Amino acid sequence: MKDKDYSRLFAEFEGVEADLIPVLVRIQERDGYISEEAVRRVSRFLRLSENQIYGVASFYPKFRFTEPGKKSIKVCMGTACHVRGGLFLSEAVGWQLGVGIGQTTADKRFDFQRAGCLGCCTLAPVVMVNEDVHSRMSVIRLKEILEKDD
Amino acid sequence: MKKKNGAVTITMDNQTYQVAPGITILEAAQQNNIEIPTLCAHKDLTPYGGCRMCIVEVEGMRNLPTACTTPISDGMIIRTNTAQVQSVRMEILQLFLSEHTSSCLICEDKDRCREYMGTIRKVGVTTGCRYCSNDGQCELQDVVEKMEVKEIKYPIYYRNLRVEKEDPFYERNYNLCVLCGRCVRMCQEVRVAHVLAFNHRGRETVIGPAYGRTHIEAGCEFCGACVSVCPTGSLTEKARAYEGKPDREELTTCSFCGVGCQMRLLVKGDRIIGSLPADDAPVNGGQLCVKGRFCITELVSGPKRLLRPYRYFDGTEAEVTREAAIATAAEKLSDCAPDEFGMLVSPNCTNEDLYVAQKFARAVMNSHNVDTSARSYYGRGFNAYLDLMRKAAPLSAVREASVILCVGLDTRFGRSVVGVELRRAVRRGARIITINPREHNLTLIAEDWIQTIPGQKTEALHKLVELTGKGASGARKGPRGVSKELVHAAETLAKAESAVILVGSEFLQYDSSAEILESVRQLAQNTGAGVLPLPAQNNLYGSLMMGAYPELIPGGHAAASTKAYGALKKAWGLKGKTVSGGFNAASLGSGKKLKVLYLVGENCPVPAGEAADFIIYQNIYPPGERFHADLVLPAAAFTESDGTFINGEGRVQRVRRAVEPPGDALPDWQILCLIARKMGVEGFDFANVESIHREMAGLVDGFKSFKKPARKPQAYRSTVALDVPAGKLPPAGQVNQKYPFMLSASITEHSHRGFSLSDWVEGTKPLFAEERLSISPADARKARISDGDEVIVTSRGFERVWPARIRPEQAEGTLHVTLYQAQAVNPNPHPVKMRKKNV
Repeated sequence: MKDKDYSRLFAEFEGVEADLIPVLVRIQERDGYISEEAVRRVSRFLRLSENQIYGVASFYPKFRFTEPGKKSIKVCMGTACHVRGGLFLSEAVGWQLGVGIGQTTADKRFDFQRAGCLGCCTLAPVVMVNEDVHSRMSVIRLKEILEKDD
Repeated sequence: MKKKNGAVTITMDNQTYQVAPGITILEAAQQNNIEIPTLCAHKDLTPYGGCRMCIVEVEGMRNLPTACTTPISDGMIIRTNTAQVQSVRMEILQLFLSEHTSSCLICEDKDRCREYMGTIRKVGVTTGCRYCSNDGQCELQDVVEKMEVKEIKYPIYYRNLRVEKEDPFYERNYNLCVLCGRCVRMCQEVRVAHVLAFNHRGRETVIGPAYGRTHIEAGCEFCGACVSVCPTGSLTEKARAYEGKPDREELTTCSFCGVGCQMRLLVKGDRIIGSLPADDAPVNGGQLCVKGRFCITELVSGPKRLLRPYRYFDGTEAEVTREAAIATAAEKLSDCAPDEFGMLVSPNCTNEDLYVAQKFARAVMNSHNVDTSARSYYGRGFNAYLDLMRKAAPLSAVREASVILCVGLDTRFGRSVVGVELRRAVRRGARIITINPREHNLTLIAEDWIQTIPGQKTEALHKLVELTGKGASGARKGPRGVSKELVHAAETLAKAESAVILVGSEFLQYDSSAEILESVRQLAQNTGAGVLPLPAQNNLYGSLMMGAYPELIPGGHAAASTKAYGALKKAWGLKGKTVSGGFNAASLGSGKKLKVLYLVGENCPVPAGEAADFIIYQNIYPPGERFHADLVLPAAAFTESDGTFINGEGRVQRVRRAVEPPGDALPDWQILCLIARKMGVEGFDFANVESIHREMAGLVDGFKSFKKPARKPQAYRSTVALDVPAGKLPPAGQVNQKYPFMLSASITEHSHRGFSLSDWVEGTKPLFAEERLSISPADARKARISDGDEVIVTSRGFERVWPARIRPEQAEGTLHVTLYQAQAVNPNPHPVKMRKKNV
């Protein structure tokens, strides 16, 4: 991101401490995550230390600090999904992609996250790929989804 | 019971108490000796209510409020120790302990461990108990003891976090952390440094800087305030971790810079094991910087301290007795003519040492040839600097100013106590302007950061002077070629109700330092601002007042003045003529070679062979590889001698002897007196420091009682100008295609008695980074230089090799290097080119 992109973004704000979370939300909407560069820029804009900003941002699971992949895999960890093998599915995703929770694969194709309840418990276990909900998942179907090109 | 004015009556544990209104239940209990266990409350921090250990029962209140956050009210009925309160506390404490390595808390060897805690390290090796340093500071241990925890019913949830040892001075073991938040609040509320924060949440919560960076990377000042308040063993001082409790404390003055912080030396047996800030001192208000907090122990008790005198003949060192050494010195000095003698004395010495040293030169050697290293440090700008000292405002001015201009000041490692004041000032609404070529720890809080380009330094300040001068109002709208920040800064300064200018070390070694400092003076005049010169030498002021310069005699009078010097000679009972040999620290080595050079707490700034035939070297550490002294005398460190210092604002403060000097070491004044007496000169029969002080007080204003120095901040008064190198500056030149980088150099301000602190304190090496070339990341990428690579820097005049240090704060196209004392880059700043070595 260039200077201009940030100054345009910051122009919407006054530059007071209370702007911190709205600024971070806007950055996450734009970039998909909060980069170190972004934290540095926000630090100078709001005159807060980078450590303070990270402390606030890391409190909220909404903010992520790694670049998202092309496909975002969210494995539901809600009660129903958990009972129907959500944990096993999530481990399978980890093995398949070779990354941990909250991380992105080196080729930037996938990132892997867990979610609370996705609100469709009757379809458990559920995996969400970008905006699509895949119901009654199994490890085999999961593998197919991950290997499918698009 | 008679009711005090405005007091409220409360009932606590069935007793009625009268307490001041507005305090919390916890404070009321502490005032009345009722114990309420607590982990997160601390006297210097705001109430937090995080640990929940201080819960109490209050009649009419739901649940159990925390005593530390609940203010008292009239008629409140409080019970601190009921069965319900105790059982809830026990529950909470056990939850703490399920996450805390608890073996030491319920260990059956606990009592013995406490008794012999000095040996915990050895015990730890055999028993595997190495969880914490058990230095008697663990408040969790105390609480566990008071609550009589016998077992922990919850499963142990050991977080297995890595112990962080990569930073100097302290290590962090967050497995022991109870998340009381004291360190975070210390860092944010008191130091306002904002390095520590709670990261993540819930049971993942961990304390630290952003992105798991090290503290060095995160901009930590290493002030150690977090370590001091930690109630567990999470944060431990590396050097003091296994020392146990100190036997006693001694109040003294730090000798590492001109701020003059008051501190407590922790003494165990005959050793200093640590240093902590003195509470509520007017200078530092309970704060210290990395130098005062962590460097003293290592500096004064290093294994290489000089213990015995020795002589150096033909490449070998031969230890001699103290008597023989004194006799040799006396013999050599007796043979020396006044104009063949030279003495360099450290501006880190006490007033008493400085006084005796210059008296030695004048009364024993009949010579004015005495000088300090400050002359070469300030160079061309020395007189301009003294001008600023004549206008010096007290440090308290920072607390009241509405606008603060910082010129070349970086408060990360040096003078960080002043940095704390600056950040507090911002919080109360003051505006900060900083002038510095580099991004530094004040840029975040400054309203305007005027980034100067080395080589064009005077411009920025000069423009500020113009813009704030009389009749400049018309030009203020935006003269051409003046940056927006500069105009804004000028406006802010001109409109300020009360402004203060702080002068740091950044520009002091520039060739144009005299003009820069002169601009500061004019700017102060234009805006009515006070100036705080903040010298790097702790007793620069004292060295001037004591007359440790060829041009100055005690009291700050001119040596050339027949009247003043006549009076001094009369007071000393001196006859005969005193010779001035044109000697000074800057001219040493050029000109005539001396017969004897006497170094009192100084290093030889030039190769020894060029300086003198015979060098007497008196210091706390050996000269090392830099040069060979012919006679070496061990001296006492400032923790081992009594005396007084005058800090940068002119306040006289005491230094106290905390331990005895090691080996044959003696305080500087005592060695000088021994030599003088050996040479048969009268007037050196001082029994102790107090008697020197008495003699001194008769000659210098402001010294009254030695036991209780009462001199308040006072600007420097002497009007005597010093002899500084003058003449036209060699042209520095501009960057061009051949020499595309502008190199600026400064001399380390973190020095003590002729050495850089990093010579003897290992942990400061990565912090102060002397002799390393700072390069901006963009320039480094272009030149394919990575961190630590050897880089050859070439200009028309010289070629030097330094390891690279890639710093994001360094501006593109500029290079910076901090050098040891007595080194120089001429001209400074200077256009150069660089390339990586071995490619």
